[in-house]
Amino acid sequence: MKIVRRFAVAAAVLCGAPTWSAPASDVTLVRERVKIAAVLKGEFEQTKTLKGFRNPLVSRGEFLVARGQGVWWHTQQPFETTLVVTQTRLFTRNADGSASDLVDAQAEPGARQVNELVFALLAADLDALAAKFTLVAQPVGAAGWTLVLTPRDANLAKFLVRATLSGERDVQTVRIEEARGDATLIRFSHQVPAAALAADEAARFR
Amino acid sequence: MSLPDATGPVPRLRWQVAAWLWLACCVVVGVHQWTFWRASHFGTDVMALLPQDEQSPEVGRATRQLADQATRQVVVMVGAPDWASAKKAAAAWEQAAMSSGGDNTWVTARAPFQRSAMAGDAALRDTLAFYAPYRDRLLTPAQRAQLERAPPAALLQSALAALAQPGGGFRLADWNADPLALWPQWWLARASETRARPRDGQLALSDGGLEWVVLLEETPGSAFTMSGDTPIAHALAKGRVAAIAAVPGARVLAGGVPLHAEYAASRAHLETNTIGWGSIAGVLVLAWLAFRSLWPRLLMAVSLLVGVAMALSATSWVFGEVHLLTTVFGASLVGCAEDYGLYYFASRQGAPGVAPLRMMSTLLPGLALALLTSVLGYFALGLPPFPGLRQMALFSVVGIAGAFMTTVVWFPWIDRGSPGRTRFSDWIRASFARYPRFGATRRTWIVHAALAVACGAGLVALRVNDDLRQLQGSPPALVDAQREVGRLLGVASPAQFFVVRGTSADDVLQREEALKTRLDARVTNGELAGYRALSDWVPSQSRQAADAALTKRVEDGVIAGVNQVLGETPQRARFDAPALTLAAWLASPAATAGRALWIGAVPRADDGTAFASVVMLRGVRDLAALPDIARSADGLAGVRWVDQVQSVSALLGRYRHTMSLLLLAGHAAVLGVLAWRYGRRAWRAWMPTALATVGTLALLAAFGQPLQLFNVLALALLLGIGVDYGIFLLERENADAGAAWLSVVLGAASTWLSFGLLALSSTPALHAFGLTLSFGILIVWLVTPLYRPATVSLQKAP
Repeated sequence: MKIVRRFAVAAAVLCGAPTWSAPASDVTLVRERVKIAAVLKGEFEQTKTLKGFRNPLVSRGEFLVARGQGVWWHTQQPFETTLVVTQTRLFTRNADGSASDLVDAQAEPGARQVNELVFALLAADLDALAAKFTLVAQPVGAAGWTLVLTPRDANLAKFLVRATLSGERDVQTVRIEEARGDATLIRFSHQVPAAALAADEAARFR
Repeated sequence: MSLPDATGPVPRLRWQVAAWLWLACCVVVGVHQWTFWRASHFGTDVMALLPQDEQSPEVGRATRQLADQATRQVVVMVGAPDWASAKKAAAAWEQAAMSSGGDNTWVTARAPFQRSAMAGDAALRDTLAFYAPYRDRLLTPAQRAQLERAPPAALLQSALAALAQPGGGFRLADWNADPLALWPQWWLARASETRARPRDGQLALSDGGLEWVVLLEETPGSAFTMSGDTPIAHALAKGRVAAIAAVPGARVLAGGVPLHAEYAASRAHLETNTIGWGSIAGVLVLAWLAFRSLWPRLLMAVSLLVGVAMALSATSWVFGEVHLLTTVFGASLVGCAEDYGLYYFASRQGAPGVAPLRMMSTLLPGLALALLTSVLGYFALGLPPFPGLRQMALFSVVGIAGAFMTTVVWFPWIDRGSPGRTRFSDWIRASFARYPRFGATRRTWIVHAALAVACGAGLVALRVNDDLRQLQGSPPALVDAQREVGRLLGVASPAQFFVVRGTSADDVLQREEALKTRLDARVTNGELAGYRALSDWVPSQSRQAADAALTKRVEDGVIAGVNQVLGETPQRARFDAPALTLAAWLASPAATAGRALWIGAVPRADDGTAFASVVMLRGVRDLAALPDIARSADGLAGVRWVDQVQSVSALLGRYRHTMSLLLLAGHAAVLGVLAWRYGRRAWRAWMPTALATVGTLALLAAFGQPLQLFNVLALALLLGIGVDYGIFLLERENADAGAAWLSVVLGAASTWLSFGLLALSSTPALHAFGLTLSFGILIVWLVTPLYRPATVSLQKAP
């Protein structure tokens, strides 16, 4: 499948300026309110608005994010497909459980950077994000927050206008606006943090 | 005391006219010299020494093009265990190295490096925009195979999965213009020409546990001067220190032609100085010991100065510039050019009563003959079509002739004093009588038989090695770093490639595609990491048409399938641009990456081919497998394998062979010239040089030195120099043999000194040259008096 290769290309354009910190109060606000777990699992609903499509494309499924391990993204509706991003591999898990179309991060070093970015977005890893984006945070109510990310690098800005994260203790929505006019909104629900992966969960990354 | 043997009136008037004419010549050269030194025309390109492949102009063009592209580029790689440290070290490197030129306030404030334009963002954007209309007709081999073979249902699944992936997926085109995301993958294939990838605004790669930052720098042109400065090495050293200070344990590698060129230029500068000044000092000390007077050495310095100035002017007139290595070689001219002056002053010293002009006219035939044989030797040096050797030959012939003319036409007028005798010169003169001599005795025959056996054994043991790589003069550290950079980046080697010829530009591209089909199999089984070809960037018209039809069929199907599953209505984007042509591509900013691969129009061959391109190989796993990879060209029309190292080595071998034959012919010619003057005694002047030639070969074998072209060239020169000594001794056998011997001893000693110093050169070609000549001159020197006629030994030395 081709989708994994898009990640690799994304890597070729993910370029950032030297580390720069957002106003301390902003980032501190999110840092105080969000809790990053080593392992986070839950459900998602993704709504994509694509140019040329009459209706938004809605997909649902379950996900698992494990720090240092990778991201497991299992779409169940409207069709079944699983994407796994790890430190060294990018692959789709077929219905029969076999893995296919892997990209070796050693051969294509961009893959690792994409993995880092995806993980940082889903887990709201502020330090990692600050390297590539300008961060502006705002409080929402007593416990909520939004964080607007604008790419620092011109190459990344050619693809991505901005990403907006919102949540409380966990990230609840991620909104991605692309330069081509396409947009994606991901809502997370039923998040469960954990200290470590269960054995069967760890197997998903192999 | 003997008197000069020439009688009759001296042509005074003619001599005077000659002196004035020569002065006029010198004034003209002097004026030229003034402009020459103001705009220094010294060349440093070592490749200029090597001959072009005369059989195929496109190979020469390809080599030049690939070399030109690289002449100013320097690749610096800064490595550290993690990415953050690597970036930090690289930033420190850049800050230190880039500012390195600034602390020399007397130089135009110009950093030794400027950022390579190839890394620019704008260039990437323009290239993406240029290619966008042709998206449908550009596929990688793997994509083509997949679209042809994969069942439509699988392709539909893959398109749906792409739609479901988290986030937008960083598309390079709208979904309806590229539903299978083929476009980013095609670009990835183009980007894989090196292993470096953009990361945080820099080029990066990971290898062996280290993260590397790749910095592409350019030197601002040929900044080399005769000062021997090394601004690039200096900047690199400063950068390295700064990088290691910022991140202890950081590794810094640098590669690129400018590094090697600068090293060669600074070595050449140093060697010109050492060898030149060394031999000048030697000559002066010897002259002082022999004559104990300022005059002879001052006059000989004048003759040398005139000779070198004329040599520089003539060389820059003919070749447009003077190669630095020519001046290194020219420095050794000092040793030869003063033979004439020494011969004159030694003779004057021996007969102070004879007027200078009469003495000169007496010596002239011998001097002229000595010049003739030397010029014959240097002339042979210029016969092979090596531009560098021709320069050296011209430089030497003009230089030696200039020194000769100055000695002959000026010395008699300027030389007013009569050089007094010294104990040193008397001792040498007297030693001649005691020097042994080969008579027609049994002992002579036994010695010669023993010599013949020894030389024969040496000749049998002599190895021949024409490998170009042994002429590589860069220090191992530089070569290793270069190799490591090449390996890490996985870039194509400019030394081996395929040349593809065709009747039209499109024909060239089609033939490339046929070759690539074969190379793809070798990429699949790991023999190669890949290749660089023009048809990757601009496929042939037929390939574009086929791929456009394929993507249209498949993508129409996929879009219809997606529409059916999702109840949607997007239509495939229209691709109605005409096919991409090579001409349009070459005129666009997109051509930066591959322009050097296009050789363009070449002279029409018998098969009608008139255009050519280069296909380069990347990441050859095993260099020993190159001959096998070369066979990929077998049976393909217009495709030819070129191995530069191997073909230049073969060329060196061919010229070594030719020069060996010319050397034999030269010996015959010199013997003929000698016979014309000396009749049956001619062999006495020739024999020492012949013996020295064979003896030198035997000595080279004994020292384990392989025979190569430059040894043979040195032997050609030995012929010219060595025979001089025999001539001087024969010329004066009935007059002042001691004076002739004195000039031979002084001349040989100073020549030996200068070529002995040349043997210390770190430029392998010059080292071989110098070593051969030092052996040869030493033998000639020691052996020449052994072959003097019996009459000489009977003559009482004065």
